[in-house]
Amino acid sequence: MGEKTDVWQGTLTLMVLKTLESMGPQHGYGVARRIEQTSGDLLQLNYGTLYPALLKLEQEGYIRSRWGTSENNRKAKFYELTKAGQRRVRKAAAEWEQTTEILARFLAPAEEA
Amino acid sequence: MRRLRALWMRFRGLCQGQQADNDFAAEVKSHVAMHTEDGIRAGLSLDEARRQALVRLGGVEQVRQAYRERRTLPLIESLVSDAGYGLRGLLRSPGFTAVAVLTLALGIGATSTVFTVADAALLRSWPASEPQRMVRIVASTPQGADYSFSYPDAVDLAAQSRTLEGIIAYARYAATIHSGSESQALLDEVVSPNYFSLLGTDPGLGRRFAAAAQSGQPCVVIGNAVWQRFFGSDPELVGKQILLSGRNYTVVGIAPRGFRGMTAFIPAELWFPITARYGASERGFRGFELVGRLRPEFTPAQAQAELEATGQRLAQAYPAVDKGRTVTVISERQRLREAATPTAMLMGAVGIVLLICCANVAGLILARGDARRKEIAMRLALGATRFRIVRQLLTESMLLALIGAGLGLIVAVELFRLQSALMPPAKFSLGLDLHLNAAAILFTIAVSMLAVILCGLLPAIQATKMSCAPALKSDERGGPPRRFTLRGSLVVAEIAMAATLLTASGLVVKSFLVSLKMNLGFDREKHLVFFDLGPGYDLARSAAYFQQAETSAAALPGVRHAALAQRMLLSDFGGGAEKRVSIPGIELPQGQTTIPVKFNAVDSGYFQTVGTHLLDGREFTMADGPHTARVAIVSRTMAERYWPASTAIGRQIVVDGKPCQVVGVAEDAKIIQPHEALEAYIYLPFAQWPRGEASLILESEQDGRPVIAAMRNVLQTMDRNAPLDVRTVDYLMQQAFWEDRITAAFVGILGLLAIFFGALGLYGVISFAVNRRRREIGIRMALGAERNDVVRMVLREGMAFAAIGSVIGLIASLLTMRVLSSVLYGVKPTDPLAFAGSVAVVISVSLIACWIPARRAASIDPMQALRTE
Repeated sequence: MGEKTDVWQGTLTLMVLKTLESMGPQHGYGVARRIEQTSGDLLQLNYGTLYPALLKLEQEGYIRSRWGTSENNRKAKFYELTKAGQRRVRKAAAEWEQTTEILARFLAPAEEA
Repeated sequence: MRRLRALWMRFRGLCQGQQADNDFAAEVKSHVAMHTEDGIRAGLSLDEARRQALVRLGGVEQVRQAYRERRTLPLIESLVSDAGYGLRGLLRSPGFTAVAVLTLALGIGATSTVFTVADAALLRSWPASEPQRMVRIVASTPQGADYSFSYPDAVDLAAQSRTLEGIIAYARYAATIHSGSESQALLDEVVSPNYFSLLGTDPGLGRRFAAAAQSGQPCVVIGNAVWQRFFGSDPELVGKQILLSGRNYTVVGIAPRGFRGMTAFIPAELWFPITARYGASERGFRGFELVGRLRPEFTPAQAQAELEATGQRLAQAYPAVDKGRTVTVISERQRLREAATPTAMLMGAVGIVLLICCANVAGLILARGDARRKEIAMRLALGATRFRIVRQLLTESMLLALIGAGLGLIVAVELFRLQSALMPPAKFSLGLDLHLNAAAILFTIAVSMLAVILCGLLPAIQATKMSCAPALKSDERGGPPRRFTLRGSLVVAEIAMAATLLTASGLVVKSFLVSLKMNLGFDREKHLVFFDLGPGYDLARSAAYFQQAETSAAALPGVRHAALAQRMLLSDFGGGAEKRVSIPGIELPQGQTTIPVKFNAVDSGYFQTVGTHLLDGREFTMADGPHTARVAIVSRTMAERYWPASTAIGRQIVVDGKPCQVVGVAEDAKIIQPHEALEAYIYLPFAQWPRGEASLILESEQDGRPVIAAMRNVLQTMDRNAPLDVRTVDYLMQQAFWEDRITAAFVGILGLLAIFFGALGLYGVISFAVNRRRREIGIRMALGAERNDVVRMVLREGMAFAAIGSVIGLIASLLTMRVLSSVLYGVKPTDPLAFAGSVAVVISVSLIACWIPARRAASIDPMQALRTE
């Protein structure tokens, strides 16, 4: 296992939204595990930081939450995307792809050299 | 948008409180439980799995804190908790809170009241829509600024103007309203037909009034209050006829609620259109004031240029009346600039009291901070930042100020009620429109915020400026006594301000007392009674009526003399009436052919009755009748101005085109009010210049009351319906000196308030010092100090503050009292008596303030004081 990276500011939001888009309604713990798994365990996520981020998204109206039952029959709070959240994921993902593409162009020649 | 939504959600989060906290606690719990289960599944022991779950979470408390900060608005939340904490603290020390709040309430209340008065009297604009476009039209003449114009001049000025939309002409009169058995005098305005439409506050009323005025039918607009009081808010009243001063008028409308006409202090309640009766077509009758409305595209300067040119054309066309007059305009901005100085003086005086109040409360807070040293040191030691504690302490001051402001507004509203009691004696309800409007409330809030900064910031900084360890260790009383503390300087400042204000009070009160003794040009010690007669007959019948009244009056027991005069002494009602006078052989300033001279038409008994001395020549006699040669008596100022080298007796003057011979010179008398500058004045024989109204003046031997009753009977038997109005000389004096009295009372009360609060501050500081030094005093007494020594020691310390404060106050007075010179009469701004009086009051009040704690210090039992160790 290589060195783990902290989550950059601002990207956590997109990860959370994307995770909820692909998984459907999910509780906080599930979202956290999924982010770690997706990153191939490269990301070191402090689970505690996830909750204020989820709250912020909820306050902004991108996700909503309700209490439900987990697969292990445990009471948990489930988050899911709202319509606005779905739009937001698409837009943010497109923007992010564009950003990385541009950055890649800058980095690519340097790597070749 | 999303940000706003989030902000709103967080704001709502403030109110959710406990439930949301529990919700999140459950969520964290379920998170940890799930993570632990996963750990166990991966083969860890329960404890290890749980430990790892908590580690990965990053600490339950930290997460909850981070979540909480996101859920709500931490700044507001801490503000609310600070406020709660502060409120509990204030409730725990009710004595401190009560004194601080009451002090602030008085200071803020007084300031808001004075602001409202200044706003209503000086700053508030014309009662018009877009008042910034209104301009006052004034004539400057060799005799000074003249606000009055004739109606034909007003019409010409308006007709030839491109820069003005129109010009309003208005004049103040009085009318009597009859309703059932009650009849009451009301102030009215006689106005040009465009009055309401040009003001623009009620366009419908404007159109109706203009149309009715053009029709020439007698009509009136009545004030909202009159409509309610006399007509029970009758919705059908418009179009009906009502009886006013014995004539029928058709009501064309009700003025908007709160509309009071053009003069702040003299609220009109009826509005009549200008007709020939009010001199609408006489170019020589300057009975109207003018206000114009600028067209939006023009500036006041353009209007000024244009009106000046029109004015010159008028002066050429009508040299007899308009020569030498230049028309100018006063823009709204100019008007406000002129109002700034009196406003600043008013606010400055009350501002000093407010400052003293703030300094007092600051002193109290400082003392409290001293008692809380341990608490604050503890919080600093526990890691609170200094800023955080200052913020908390300021929140507490803000609470004080807000409660103070709330009470202050109540104080202000109560003070507004005093207005009617403080008005000058008058038949009409005079007074300013005082109510709490948005401006007053905003001002109060601003003042209380200023108070927070003034009385909260310094103590808060002072309280947190400490090193924790010694503060924590030391006993609360144990701090070393320091001589020049912040509190001490505050008290010195308070006393200095109080001394300054007291000097001002001394000057104003002395000026009032001096002006009460000024020579008015008649004998105010006489028991004079004035009957206003206006039977409403034609001139010949009036003359007979007046003659009969005078003869019967002179025959009444207890009446020494009786006389007739056209106008009353020292009254602005009709007192400004003028005649056009020219003097053959004398060139008048700026080529004017005539000058306006104020006058009174009097009969033969006048000078003897009122006690105006004749300096030269003779009085009028019964022989100066309507068919004999016209004669006149001039005032001393007039005689000295136009015939400085020789006597005025025998000279000719031309009054309203009629030649008269000067037969006497009278001493100067005040005409409208006591503080006016002396001016040329003429007396004419009543019989040669008859009028339908007159003032019958009686000199009674003693108190005038029996004479008044007897005379009333006489007049009622002559004509039961003739209106009748009686005034005594005392009433006139009260009216005439009302302004001086109010000014003296205002400044005097502020001075007393200032020294009261200053003394309270001094008392607080000295009591505090005595308490702190209980042990030291105990030791001194144990070592043999007498009680008197202790008293002397405490007094010496307190009086040092008072002395330094008075000296600074006196220096400040010397530097600033010049601003008062315009309101002072017969007193120099450096009057030594006022200064000495101020010091005497400061020192004696300070002595009392120090005496009480000094006595307490002397009564300390040395054994007890030492045992408290």
